[in-house]
Amino acid sequence: MNQQIDDNLKRVYADTVQEPLPERFTQLLDQLREKERGNSDEESGDTS
Amino acid sequence: MSTDSDPKEELIEHLPAMRAFAMSLTHNSATADDLVQDTVVKAWGNFDKFKPGTNLRAWLFTILRNTYYSLYRKRRREVEDPDGVMAEQISEKPEHDGHLAMADFREAFAQLSDDQREVLVLVGVEGFSYEEAAEMCGCAVGTIKSRTNRARKRLAELMKIDDENALEMTDSATMAVVKGKPAA
Repeated sequence: MNQQIDDNLKRVYADTVQEPLPERFTQLLDQLREKERGNSDEESGDTS
Repeated sequence: MSTDSDPKEELIEHLPAMRAFAMSLTHNSATADDLVQDTVVKAWGNFDKFKPGTNLRAWLFTILRNTYYSLYRKRRREVEDPDGVMAEQISEKPEHDGHLAMADFREAFAQLSDDQREVLVLVGVEGFSYEEAAEMCGCAVGTIKSRTNRARKRLAELMKIDDENALEMTDSATMAVVKGKPAA
């Protein structure tokens, strides 16, 4: 019975896992990387 | 400053599972993605606290559930509309074979408490050990064990699963989905 419950849960979960990743997340990661690069530029003296 | 195999670059591999975990907690895909976004931003700012060599997914899931409990659960209560949420859930997934049983299952799952849904995903789906789940949820191992048992029992009651009334799990669509997904 527990196995049956877990199997069903895995199906529901897999539906979401298998969805293509929305673009907002790749964009978000790009933004975070860019911001990080921007910060290290500032630290090295560029204030403009 | 050593940068060999930056865990930040591995974050993206965990995003699909984070979305699924967030979905199990929030029952709403827009809210789930907001929760994942908040989690990613938080994780990014705290990567210096991540211990390399430890389980990155467990670390990310911990941030996600903490964010959910500190911000989202309150928000959800304020606007709670269980019927609307459930109706959305059911209408979102009408296309599969065996859809009737799965709609019932989703509905039953949605009726569990937050901590019951959480533990079923962590232990039953993601395959974290009781010890790992206890650490992630900040509670005792025994609590996780009894919570898992209670959650399964409650779900079975809601679904009226017993030996004579087994859930249909043998249709080809089901098997394809189950086989297509590596067991966490």
